[in-house]
Amino acid sequence: MKKYILALVTSALAVLSGCDKPATSTTDPTSPQTKAKGTIGVSLLTLDNPFFKVIGDNITAEGKKRGYETIVVSGDKDVAKQGNQIKDFIVKKVSAIVLSPCDSKAIIPVIQEANAAGIPVFTVDIPCNEPGVKIVTQIATDNYGGGKEGAQAMIEALGEAGGKIAVLHFKQAESCQLRVKGFTEVINAHNAAGKGKIEIVTELESGGAKDMGYKAAEDALQAHSDLRGIFAINDPAALGARAALEKAGKTQVVIVGFDGQPEGKQAIKEGKIYADPIQFPDKMGVQIVDAIVRHSKGETLPPQMLIPTSLYKKADALKDPELK
Amino acid sequence: MKNSRFLADYGMIFVLLLLCAFFSVVTNSDQSPTGEAAAKQVVSAIQSQFGKNPRVLIAVSDQQGDAAFAASTERELTAAGAQVVATVKGEPKDAREALVKTNATGGKLDAIACTQVTGAWLVFADLKTDFPALGEPRVITPRSYRWPNFLKSENLLNIANQIAIIAIIAIGMTMVIITGGIDLSVGSMIALSSVVAARFIRDHANGVGASVGGMLAGCLVAILLCGTVGAFSGTMITRFRVPPFIVTLSMMLVCSGAAYKLSNNTTISEIPDSFIWLGRGADFLGLPNAVVLMMALYLLAHVLMSRMKLGRYIYAVGGNAEAARLSGVAVEGVMMFAYIASGLLAGLGGVVMASLLKSGSGTFGNMYELKVIAAVVVGGTSLTGGQGKIFGTLIGAFIIAVIENGMNLTNIESQMQKIVLGLVILGAVLLDKIRHR
Repeated sequence: MKKYILALVTSALAVLSGCDKPATSTTDPTSPQTKAKGTIGVSLLTLDNPFFKVIGDNITAEGKKRGYETIVVSGDKDVAKQGNQIKDFIVKKVSAIVLSPCDSKAIIPVIQEANAAGIPVFTVDIPCNEPGVKIVTQIATDNYGGGKEGAQAMIEALGEAGGKIAVLHFKQAESCQLRVKGFTEVINAHNAAGKGKIEIVTELESGGAKDMGYKAAEDALQAHSDLRGIFAINDPAALGARAALEKAGKTQVVIVGFDGQPEGKQAIKEGKIYADPIQFPDKMGVQIVDAIVRHSKGETLPPQMLIPTSLYKKADALKDPELK
Repeated sequence: MKNSRFLADYGMIFVLLLLCAFFSVVTNSDQSPTGEAAAKQVVSAIQSQFGKNPRVLIAVSDQQGDAAFAASTERELTAAGAQVVATVKGEPKDAREALVKTNATGGKLDAIACTQVTGAWLVFADLKTDFPALGEPRVITPRSYRWPNFLKSENLLNIANQIAIIAIIAIGMTMVIITGGIDLSVGSMIALSSVVAARFIRDHANGVGASVGGMLAGCLVAILLCGTVGAFSGTMITRFRVPPFIVTLSMMLVCSGAAYKLSNNTTISEIPDSFIWLGRGADFLGLPNAVVLMMALYLLAHVLMSRMKLGRYIYAVGGNAEAARLSGVAVEGVMMFAYIASGLLAGLGGVVMASLLKSGSGTFGNMYELKVIAAVVVGGTSLTGGQGKIFGTLIGAFIIAVIENGMNLTNIESQMQKIVLGLVILGAVLLDKIRHR
């Protein structure tokens, strides 16, 4: 009996120490890496979404290049869990904390703790604009500008005729509100100019997910059989909408998405989505490390750094080496 | 004989100790002294390297502990005849400003006295090229010593504080599982309770300006509401014989939906700052208040389960409900008690969470029921009922907390953390089974 237990425990610990290799080797004072400038603790909203995975991977890669160790963990959309992760970072005395808050209000006391411990805090993608917290700089996509680009693509696709369009929203997310704001402004300006009037007939909740996007698009088609276009606030919602269009046999309806995830880009290549204002999670990751270095060098950083989107259409997809 | 009994009941404590030992070894890393001790080291290093009259810049962060270091270093250096050019308290850019100023006035600089943290600032990395007029100042930091991050008292208290919510709820869950039932609604009740408490304070107790009484009332309403939900589940289970799994699954959905509805899908944070007392304060011997609360509840529950009639009845009901009924135990009443206790404790857990995060939201406590059940089962309580120990659950909760914390400290990324946690839970239970065979 005892042997079993011993074997079990030792094998479990062996597994644990196995995963720990990279950490122990770098904290070993005899290793040549003692020049490491410190550790960057990163807690992202989730790692299920490839977007955040790319941010995390790029922070790790760029951090390594600049001589930092990194630890990237997922908050799993659970702000209490994220709070625990930040506290563990504080105990570890990391040199910088990067986070995309799971809840920008509930995370306040935790950020304040990091502030009190003298650790600089940066946000990526999701800002925290609440009073009482000190954040060195916030790096995010220019969602407002991206929405404008999306509207230009829509105007171009609908051409002279104009017509009715639907917006698949995700109202909970501030980023999506900005996207729709930019989109609506350009559409309104276009309508004011007079030709090819585009009418936003409905704004439905898509949850930013395929299943809800599908349902929302189906409902929109029921209500407006002459729908000509759909603006979806992200790729999953756009792809869900596309499925609904295919089912209803209305594939002539133009979809403009947002994001530029691989699946979305593929759909653009196949003509299923007309265009995406694409985000650059890789640039975000690199820029955040750059910001950490600049802050540590004593530079004054702007409170916010926006990364512009760029419009991605079929022609771009055909040239894209990353797509099959 | 007595020893083996203890082993059978609390064998998991060795797993916990083993984990602690393991993480102590792998998190062993450089620590730096702080305050006066650090100042002494730095001052003597500067004196021995630069002789009588060095020109020194002191750089610390604006953290509280650093002020003592800066003051003490400045005092001792001046007393020893050194010239302190400037003392920087703040961020790297403040240090840069001071360097630029010194550079402009053409003064040489011999040393920069730093803490471990400020010594790593990159602003001091290329002094020779950035500020040629300063000469070649050297960055002096206190000598570091080795000590496990895991064993820092700050970290151990963190672990206890992190697990307090789950451990508190696990008390009720242990009772429910010992009666042979299960309560899946506790995670959603955290959300419901946090939202109700936060909303009550915002709408009925003057929001940010709420008095202590108002806050207490909000918490009480939230806890009692969850107790009522528990009573409802209990009634469904005892009176209408609906399986606990189904009843509490339904209540999980109801509570979660209600929490989102009541909070209007937002985070309610219009609560006074003093509300964080329960979740973040530490008034008793430096122990976090939530941990003190947890310990008190565990003592209470332990006495209840091992010394009182009701506790015996709970075991009896779970062991064999029919036999218990025939020997005169009010089986239905005992089960009602377990579900109400579980509800009340989940409500309390929600209040602690609301206090910890100074807000209430429907997203809180998502999937916590599984963590709570894991803590109970890892602690040695049998899912078939009739067996289990209250302190076993506490140990189970700590095992989970230690693994999570240890992995965060050792740079293990999230996906791997899930795999390891899953395997360790399985391994722990397996170990228990083998031992009992």
